[in-house]
Amino acid sequence: MLRKILKPFSKFFEFHARSHYRAERHSMALTIGIIAASAVGGFVEIAPLFSIDETVEAAPDMRVYTPLEQAGRDIYIREGCYACHSQMIRSLRDEVDRYGPYSLAVESQYDHPMLWGSKRTGPDLARVGEKFSDEWQVQHLVDPRSLVPESVMPQYAFLLDTPLETASLPGRLAALRTVGVPYSDEQIENAAEDARGQAYPDSDQAYAVEERYGEATNIRFFDGRRDRLTEMDALVAYLQIMGGLTDLPQETQFAEGE
Amino acid sequence: MDLSYETLSTIAKSFGLFYLIALSIGITVYAFWPSLGNRFDKAAQSVLDDEEGPCR
Amino acid sequence: MMERLTIAERQQAMLLSGGLALVGLALAIVGRGDAMGVHGWITMIFAGGLFFVVGNALYAPAPTDDRATSYYDDPTKVGILISLFWAVIAMGMGVWVAAQLAWPDLRFDAPWSSFGRIRPVHTSGVIFGFGGNALIATSYHVMQRTSRARLAGHVSPWFVLLGFNLFCIIAASGYLMGITQSKEYAEPEWYADIWLVVVWVVYFVLYMRTLARRNEPHIYVANWYYMAFILVVAVLHIVNNLAVPASFSAAKSYSAFSGVQDAMTQWWYGHNAVAFFLTAGFLGMLYYFLPKRAERPIYSYRLSILSFWGIVFFYIWAGSHHLHYTAVPQWVQTLGMTFSVMLLVPSWASAGNALMTLNGAWGKVRDDATLRFMMVAAVFYGLSTFEGSFMAIRAVNSLSHYTDWTVGHVHAGAMGWVALITFGSIYALVPILWRRESMYSWKLVEWHFWLALGGTVIYVFAMWNSGIIQGLMWRTYTESGTLAYSFTDSLVAMHPYYVARTIGGAFFLTGAIIGAFNVIMTIRKVHEQTPELDYPTKSEAGEPAVPAAE
Repeated sequence: MLRKILKPFSKFFEFHARSHYRAERHSMALTIGIIAASAVGGFVEIAPLFSIDETVEAAPDMRVYTPLEQAGRDIYIREGCYACHSQMIRSLRDEVDRYGPYSLAVESQYDHPMLWGSKRTGPDLARVGEKFSDEWQVQHLVDPRSLVPESVMPQYAFLLDTPLETASLPGRLAALRTVGVPYSDEQIENAAEDARGQAYPDSDQAYAVEERYGEATNIRFFDGRRDRLTEMDALVAYLQIMGGLTDLPQETQFAEGE
Repeated sequence: MDLSYETLSTIAKSFGLFYLIALSIGITVYAFWPSLGNRFDKAAQSVLDDEEGPCR
Repeated sequence: MMERLTIAERQQAMLLSGGLALVGLALAIVGRGDAMGVHGWITMIFAGGLFFVVGNALYAPAPTDDRATSYYDDPTKVGILISLFWAVIAMGMGVWVAAQLAWPDLRFDAPWSSFGRIRPVHTSGVIFGFGGNALIATSYHVMQRTSRARLAGHVSPWFVLLGFNLFCIIAASGYLMGITQSKEYAEPEWYADIWLVVVWVVYFVLYMRTLARRNEPHIYVANWYYMAFILVVAVLHIVNNLAVPASFSAAKSYSAFSGVQDAMTQWWYGHNAVAFFLTAGFLGMLYYFLPKRAERPIYSYRLSILSFWGIVFFYIWAGSHHLHYTAVPQWVQTLGMTFSVMLLVPSWASAGNALMTLNGAWGKVRDDATLRFMMVAAVFYGLSTFEGSFMAIRAVNSLSHYTDWTVGHVHAGAMGWVALITFGSIYALVPILWRRESMYSWKLVEWHFWLALGGTVIYVFAMWNSGIIQGLMWRTYTESGTLAYSFTDSLVAMHPYYVARTIGGAFFLTGAIIGAFNVIMTIRKVHEQTPELDYPTKSEAGEPAVPAAE
């Protein structure tokens, strides 16, 4: 049976065996050796992490990003904010004192990819949500040095004038569902409208967002503009939800501290 | 079989150790295998005599 | 250059570039309205240009002599020149991003010029553009010389080299337009990643086929390192870049991994990019060009084998030291730390092996700046691997992580080790490749050496200082038990070091520009000289390459 399947290829094998057998034995052995030696480390360290239940704590109140927040996250990635801001508070006293409860695995459960970062040219942002007002965030993004004269952050004024592209949001949410974020069909279908609704309080769309994503969702004129939906709306909506997807860290670590 | 995190990480830790030891012994034996010494010396020399040597 | 390709090979090259241009056109049409469309046009112009260059010379005279009696060096030559081009561009970007941290308004009023977008242009440009092209070019040279055989193929070396550069161009232009996956050192999006896999498979096959032709019983150890570089980078690249595109008509995709798993996968990739791209490949360079230049065989061949397997085996575990005190399980952090410390043994074995090879040839090191480049590279390799193992210790890492110390460490490795060994190898290689008597100017090589060394030292010391000060300020408490410094205080304290770092980087860049100038002048001005022996021969040992059939 096997012979039959392989027959069409036999010529290739024979040729191979005749002319290259001896010489290739060494390089093939080397190839296999390199793979065998290098594969194990990664496998041993990474594979167990995928038995996720025990790596990641259970947080019943964990919610997903709304379309507007996800769009803001995509802008955060596009502009390379992660190059200077981490989103991972380590379990060290000074970090907890400076930034808040240390980060739990569950908090980045829906982060594809994670943005833990590797460098703090600016401060950690894991719990920056609601620490500053929307107006402060907008002003700080437009001209950082008007609020923090010593800052070295670039200006992002153009976000305020760039309309947010929402047509691709259903596709984005669908892709995120494929990789494991539990968006419902309804949430995916209405993603574009929901992005708009979250930045227009008291509209019908806004009520629909509240219905689909919960009452705790921030629904505001994030960029302060009432005339149109901008990238600034999305980015500020994302900044304001950072650290706010679940209350688990505050609850558990407050109890520990008591 | 239930592949829980515990089992996986235990296998990882113990297997990893044995693998490490076996690999190091294997490589050391290979590197110091007496009959290969000649070949290694030749290889080390071989890079020097394929060209005229560095130009100056 | 075309005269060394047969008509059939030229046709094959036209077919490939024509096909690629059509793929580019398809990408441009499907991705119109998205930045992906721009990449389609770039691909089409790139491949279309190649199509016409080859087509123009399609019926030029074909080679008449037996090509197997000589080495095929054209792709190596082009690779070296492209590598130097990227060096100047990417190091220039580096100086600019460094300057932006000292003087944040030193930018244009346009989104593309912000730190976040041009920083990856610097990192990818240096690692892939400068380093990657140098690796591909030198690997072509080394695999042929150590195998005493011509490259296996005439189109595939070009495919690998130019295909890889298309990847680099797509990556760099993408960052400026905001296309990034945010995974550090793996930023390009899904279509660029797929293209790189294709290029890389061809590279591997080319390497294996050339080794299979060798007239030498043993595969010289430099090739082992190059092979490890090719193989493991392929595995890392494929796994870390697994993603689902939001749409096949746009660039955006979402990583298959999230949170803890993504962090572990990313730093498994990130650290092994250092291990197999920036270490293994360049050790391959070291193990060939250093003995060659010093005219002494490697001190201990056995040690080079031991350290090879040590590096391949230990490095792969070390990634999790990037995640100390984070939400990653503690046993993973401990494993990462343990292996990072053990890694010091094979690393120092390699550095020691290189330096012991020079023992007895110190006079040459003193007189020959090219050899000095390699010697100092080996020293920096030893220093930065020691520093790396040290920083992987949890307690040290709690201070150093997130600070400029990490940046300093990376640059000690990237400038002191990777760039210096590359420049040393290029200076050794250029006269051989272009059949020149010598480099155009030895004084300029000296200038380059001292600028590079000075720049590296200034840079690294500035970052050590700023990193440690930053780390200490963040964790200093007042007597009443509150944090002593605000984040802004620590930022203000960094300013003088950021200025110093920019100056160090500018020194290094100046050296690279001088180097590029020197190479171009060597090609244009220096007299030709034909070496007696630079063509495939039977092994000096007299053993036949392929033993009689069994």
